[in-house]
Amino acid sequence: MSTNLETTNLKTDEMIINMGPQHPATHGVLRLILKLDGEIVRHVEPVIGHLHRAQEWQGQNRTLFQYQALIDRVDYLSGMFTSLAFAHACEQIDGCQIPPRAQYLRALVCEMNRISSHLLWLGTFLIDLGALFGFPFYPFREREKLLDLFEEIAGQRMMFNYIRIGGVQRDPKPSWFEKVRKFTAEFPDRIDEYEAIVTQNPIVLKRTKGVGILDKSVAMDYGVTGPSIRGSGINYDLRKTRPYGIYPELNFEIPLGQNQGDTWDRYMCRILEMRQSNNLINQCLDKMPEGEISGKKQIAGLRIKAGEGFSAIESPRGVLGCYVISNGSDKAYRIRWRNPSFCNLAVLPSLLIGRPISDIMAIFGSIDVILPDVDR
Amino acid sequence: MSELLNNDLNSTDLARENAALISPELADTVTLTSIDKAINMLSQIVSPIANLARSNSVWPLTFGTSCCAIEMMCVGMSAFDISRFGSEVFRATPRQADLIITAGTITRKMASALITLYEQLPEPKYVIAMGACTITGGMFNDSYSVVQGVDRIIPVDVYLPGCPPRPEAILDALLKLQQKIRTENYAKRRVQAYQQRPVCYVDYDCGRPLEDLLAMAMEDTSLALDQK
Amino acid sequence: MSQTDTNKPNETKEMELGKFGKFLKDNGIDSTRKDDSINVETIVISVKDLEPALRLLKTSSETKLNMLLTISGVDYTDRIDSIYHLWSYDHNDALVIKVELPKQSQANTDTVNLTSIANFWSAANWHERETYDLVGIRYLRHPYLRRILNPWDWEGHPLRRDYKQLVDALNDKNPHSFR
Repeated sequence: MSTNLETTNLKTDEMIINMGPQHPATHGVLRLILKLDGEIVRHVEPVIGHLHRAQEWQGQNRTLFQYQALIDRVDYLSGMFTSLAFAHACEQIDGCQIPPRAQYLRALVCEMNRISSHLLWLGTFLIDLGALFGFPFYPFREREKLLDLFEEIAGQRMMFNYIRIGGVQRDPKPSWFEKVRKFTAEFPDRIDEYEAIVTQNPIVLKRTKGVGILDKSVAMDYGVTGPSIRGSGINYDLRKTRPYGIYPELNFEIPLGQNQGDTWDRYMCRILEMRQSNNLINQCLDKMPEGEISGKKQIAGLRIKAGEGFSAIESPRGVLGCYVISNGSDKAYRIRWRNPSFCNLAVLPSLLIGRPISDIMAIFGSIDVILPDVDR
Repeated sequence: MSELLNNDLNSTDLARENAALISPELADTVTLTSIDKAINMLSQIVSPIANLARSNSVWPLTFGTSCCAIEMMCVGMSAFDISRFGSEVFRATPRQADLIITAGTITRKMASALITLYEQLPEPKYVIAMGACTITGGMFNDSYSVVQGVDRIIPVDVYLPGCPPRPEAILDALLKLQQKIRTENYAKRRVQAYQQRPVCYVDYDCGRPLEDLLAMAMEDTSLALDQK
Repeated sequence: MSQTDTNKPNETKEMELGKFGKFLKDNGIDSTRKDDSINVETIVISVKDLEPALRLLKTSSETKLNMLLTISGVDYTDRIDSIYHLWSYDHNDALVIKVELPKQSQANTDTVNLTSIANFWSAANWHERETYDLVGIRYLRHPYLRRILNPWDWEGHPLRRDYKQLVDALNDKNPHSFR
């Protein structure tokens, strides 16, 4: 498309357009300063920080116990993962043991959260492509079921504060596991339903095939992770490459992009990941052992040993890392987040340049950026 | 009818307001008090009917910065279905909206954009401060970059606590706002109306209207001149 | 704030060189090893060696540490550390590189200077901007060193230990606040 536009010999002026921070499709408050030549994007400058809530500053001014409640807001669509990254870092510095039941519960709720995050992505991605308020009803229907399940164990729909340093917050009732089983039994059919609507839809194919091709070397140079880089064919998933928790005991596959790493590949990766996660939930339910759920006493003056460490997990958006420097007191000396969205968004300008303006939202939606994860 | 006419509704304010509306040629013929009384009377007849219509079609702006925005999306979906109350039409531009639901933390960097959005909204306009962050700053109220409550920068009609509030709570806030709209009187509202101004050009770097920047520059120069 | 200053993490004694320390020494770059951070080799190198060392570690087929996770700045009141976490897309090794920047040696204590690596490693671009914004390490020769999270006209670096928070009409403290 772009080549057609470029071969015409019309003389055009460059124009600067400001997109955002209030824009329905920027997933919150991203601002893009675009330099356009006709319809072709010539230069992009993302302006971020409109949602900078000083999470790292809060980390060194609040006790560890207080901060646990705060970090669900780092990435609100996948709060379990931010809690898990923080808990992992603290546990490894402290050297405390996590009981196996807590490990399995963690993996279970994380995979459920991965599905709910991908479902919301699917809905908003289709909104970005123009399927406004038609298709999004479908993924949100299943997401509500998951949120009800989360609410039953954590007491909140989105800000769970469920995974704590040393284990998890509370043990679900046996009836809860039955509800999860019921969900996993019907969910593959629901994914089939989404795919029947979207995957081979000619409009979606036209908007996504060959659009926003993320080259392997570019992606690695920018430190892109998660489904965005797996869409380009690089098999990098921390659950396999640097296994944590009980993932070595579980059996699953890492879906990879089949083509050259375009928007459609990234879409397909996430759809297949949801199927894998559904499979993982079933495995966790089957293998769920009995026993304790926390290896550390949950008190307000929670302390960990002095030391420092970086720990990372595979969130729905990529490698989510937390670097904790502890001095042995109940506050951390410094907490630093390595957010997948922040690193993935940095690659956006190189994907947009040379594309028409209508592709911006398709490409931006496909790398699944979430703004509090960028700005913290 | 005579009761309505005699029902004097802060007439001095109205008189001041209307003085600007009457052209100089007509100043002798029209007495200010008669216009006030006519407006009062009309608004008491028309307002209840108009309010009923207005309150059932409050169109919100798609303004969401963080966590609350996801719950704001959920409330539009089939499980909660805000369209039962006539507010399903989320508008992307403030010029077509009646209501801002400030869903999510407002930071210093975002504050100027929010003020601009509020100014672009046509009167009558309403604000629901959704979530703890927009009421007081919430969990982040001591952060260096967070505005401690959206009511520090724009007027708020309904406060909706929670972090984030459940979708049912959003519906409740909307119903409260509808009640408020139904009790409104056109003449009263007209007096209290936010001074609308056309925002023609918003600066590209800082997101503020050009008028504000010019005023600030004028102030700076006058201060500098005073110091000399 | 003053409490945390006195409770700084303990300084550690020097140790033998690890795998990557030896590799760097073979290529003529000196480093000292610090305590491991969760079983990951942690080394300290000097300011002038930073750029060649990272360039070598990224491209050499022996190390292939081609994934820059994050660049963090940590204020230890007397010095500022710039910390580089390196992983690899190809294998499971990891390395933490620290550069210590004493505040006294700088002419202007408001910012400390360090060489940018954004010219050959795109991932560093935004991380360096962020560290400049929050901690105040000025990365020299950076292509576009501008504040990224805070507004462009912001004053001060919030994650410094001596940062004084701006108080105005938007966030004047409630006198009854417990903090």
